[in-house]
Formats: sequence, C-alpha cells, structure tokens
Amino acid sequence: MARVSAGELSKLAVLFERHHRALFRYFVSMSRTREMAEDLVQDVFFRMLRYRSSYDPSRPFTAWMYQIARNAGIDQKRGGEVVGIEEYMERHAEPASSSPGPEEHASRGQNLNLLRRALDRLPRDKREILVLSRFQNMKYEQIGEILGCETGTVKVRVYRAMRALEQIYFALEKEKVS
Amino acid sequence: MTCEETKQLFADYWSDGLNGEDEIKLQEHLGACEGCRKEAERLGALWRDLGALPAEQPGPGLRSRFYDSLAAFRSGADDRFSQPSHRSPAKQMVWQIAAGIALLLAGVGAGYGLRPNQSPELSQLREEVANMRQLVALSLLQQQSASERLRGVSYALRAEPNDSEVLGALLDTVKRDSNVNVRLAAVDALHPFASSPATRNGILQALTKQDAPLVQVALIDLLVDLKIKQAEPELRQLLQNAGDAGVRQRAEWALENLQ
Ligand SMILES: [Zn+2]
Repeated sequence: MARVSAGELSKLAVLFERHHRALFRYFVSMSRTREMAEDLVQDVFFRMLRYRSSYDPSRPFTAWMYQIARNAGIDQKRGGEVVGIEEYMERHAEPASSSPGPEEHASRGQNLNLLRRALDRLPRDKREILVLSRFQNMKYEQIGEILGCETGTVKVRVYRAMRALEQIYFALEKEKVS
Repeated sequence: MTCEETKQLFADYWSDGLNGEDEIKLQEHLGACEGCRKEAERLGALWRDLGALPAEQPGPGLRSRFYDSLAAFRSGADDRFSQPSHRSPAKQMVWQIAAGIALLLAGVGAGYGLRPNQSPELSQLREEVANMRQLVALSLLQQQSASERLRGVSYALRAEPNDSEVLGALLDTVKRDSNVNVRLAAVDALHPFASSPATRNGILQALTKQDAPLVQVALIDLLVDLKIKQAEPELRQLLQNAGDAGVRQRAEWALENLQ
C-alpha cells in the first residue's frame, strides 16, 4: 500500500469529526452492541484510507462512505461476532436515559421504548432501510445508490418496512398488556 | 388512482418529498378511501415517532482510540512516537517499553555521534533495542481491541527484517485476526520481510486460507510486488474459484505480471 500522506491523515480527522456520530448510530442500530459499533466506526475510517482511490468525487461522499460501512458490517458478521437478540434485549432492558423526564412525557417515552424494541426485531434489510432514511436523513435516490437499486424500489421497500415495523410494534404492545 | 399506486407514494408523503401533482392525487384518494387513509395516518405517526427516537451517542473512548490509531499510522510513516494517553495497565506497560526504546534509540544515536566505530556496548545496546521492538510488536498484536493490534502491526514494521518471531506473529495475524483491517495492515507490514523464504511460503498459505476479498487482493498485490513466481498455481485456483469478481480480475492481472 502506498504510504498515506500527512495531508490525507488530517483530512481523515476532519471526516471523522463530521461523520462518526452518524456512523455510530447506523452501526448501533445494525449491530446492536455499542462495543461492536465503536469498532466498526473505527474500521470505516481506516478503510477509507485504503480505498481512497475508489472514491469518485462526482458522486456523493456519504454514499461512498455508507458503502464502505456496509461492507465493514458484513465482514464483521462473517467473522461470527454477532450478538444474539436475547443478549441484546438484556443489555437494553432499562429505558433510554436521554428521555425528557416529566410525567406528561412518560407515556410517550414508553411508546418510544417499545418502538425501539420493535425496530431491533425488524429483519436486517428492513431495519437498514429505515435507519438510512429516517436516522441518517438520506434521500431515497442516495439510498438506492448505496443499496444498488432503483429509487422507486427504495420507496416501496420503505413502505413495506414500515408495515412490518407496525406489526411487530403491535405484537409487542399486546404482549405487554396481557 | 388505485390503492396500490397510493401506497407507493407513502414514502415520499412521510418525508415531504411529494410533488404538487402527486400530493393532490394522493389527498383525493385518501379522502375517498378509508383503508388507505387510516393506514397513512397510523404509519405516518410511527414515522414521526421514529424521528423522535433519541440518537445513541458514542462514548469518549471512540474518539481517543481513533486519534491513537491515527498517531500510530503517522508514527509508522515517519518513525516518531506519539503521546501516551492511556488507562489500562497493559497499555501502560507497552508505553513504558516504547518510552524505553525511545531512550535507547537516543542513546544509540548519541553513541554514533561520538564513536563511528561499533563498540561492544553499542552493539549490545542495539540488540536490546531490537528485542524491545519485538516485545512491543508481539504484545500489541495480542491485544483485545483492533486498534491496539493495528498499532502492533505498525511496530512490527520497525522490527529487524530477519526477526522470525515477529514475522510469525504477522503471518498469524494475516491468517487469523478477526478484524479485516488489522489483517490488511499486517499484509502491508510483510514487505520488509520479503527476503525470507518463510515469508513467501507464509503468503501463499495465507492466500489459500483467506476468505475476505479485500485481504485476498492485498495478498495478490504483495505477491506481484515481491515477484513470487511460484504463486502461479494458487493464482490459477483463485482465477477459477474465487467468488468475488474483483479477486478473479486481480488474479488474472497478477498472472500476466508475474510472467
Ligand atoms: Zn385505497
């Protein structure tokens, strides 16, 4: 591998500051553990160094970055380091700490907690498309570029993912009541 | 508009991406069709709630690890030591060793300045430096976290080119490390060991065992760089059987270049 220049290393630091939180959120949603998500974020930035020649400046940078991120996630999964859902549920048993607090928010907080659990149970491909469109605020065109499909297909898949999410959400709600 | 066509507009509807014409058509249908209207409302509310989920924030460790690795890359490039800023005893030990090496190196440098001819003490000192570098590389390669192991690889670059123990650890890393990035860095670090026949055999072995396309490509490049002609059977095998098109292309390219 050609030596990485000092200029490129500083540029990597800028990219890190700009994107690491969004990438972390993507990986936490996809890989389900904070430790693994942090490892993967780290991975993505050093992969960018290695594959910097494959970046086409005429195309959006974030699409390229998420392509690398997806590959990093897939490689990790191949390594067999995926944590089972039960273990994940145990770790995330306590409600999200950053909720606002006052009583009028309690029921909304509970709903959100349920929603997060429903999202975690969604199959990987459906979860990913919602994470990209809703958490990363990506345009459907861009998501199509990352996933390698038409924009129209992305929109249909978003709709289907929302339907599936709703079903899981209701099932969890019922579980809680009974 | 049919119900089916209406639902295809939902994704744009939730994300405020509908053009005026589609918006009118959608509203018309929703006004007339209760089923679609209810679904649009329910899923729309869920969509809003998704947007309200608090974002999980990375811990402070992520940033410090990133900058540590960056510093390791940098020091790998210009042979300088970065600043220690660590907590765990294992890491601290490693850094103490590193600081020891720095001191020793300074000593060696001073020795050179004073006496151009090698004295026995000086060669002993140099041997000690080599041993310490080996120790640092070997202990870092065993660390839990991928970024520490990456740092170990960059130390391995500074080991003596005939250090068989470091070579063995690097080849082992290429074959077995769970993190693809660490494996890639270890492939790069094999360059200085090129003259050793053990390296050549090790690379060929690693290539046949490797399943990550990225690492396969890096190993193929290394074979070409080192002009390892006896790689032909392994490359032909990849050309035939590799699942990844990029790997097959690279193997073909390598076969041409090794002629
Ligand atoms: Zn309808």
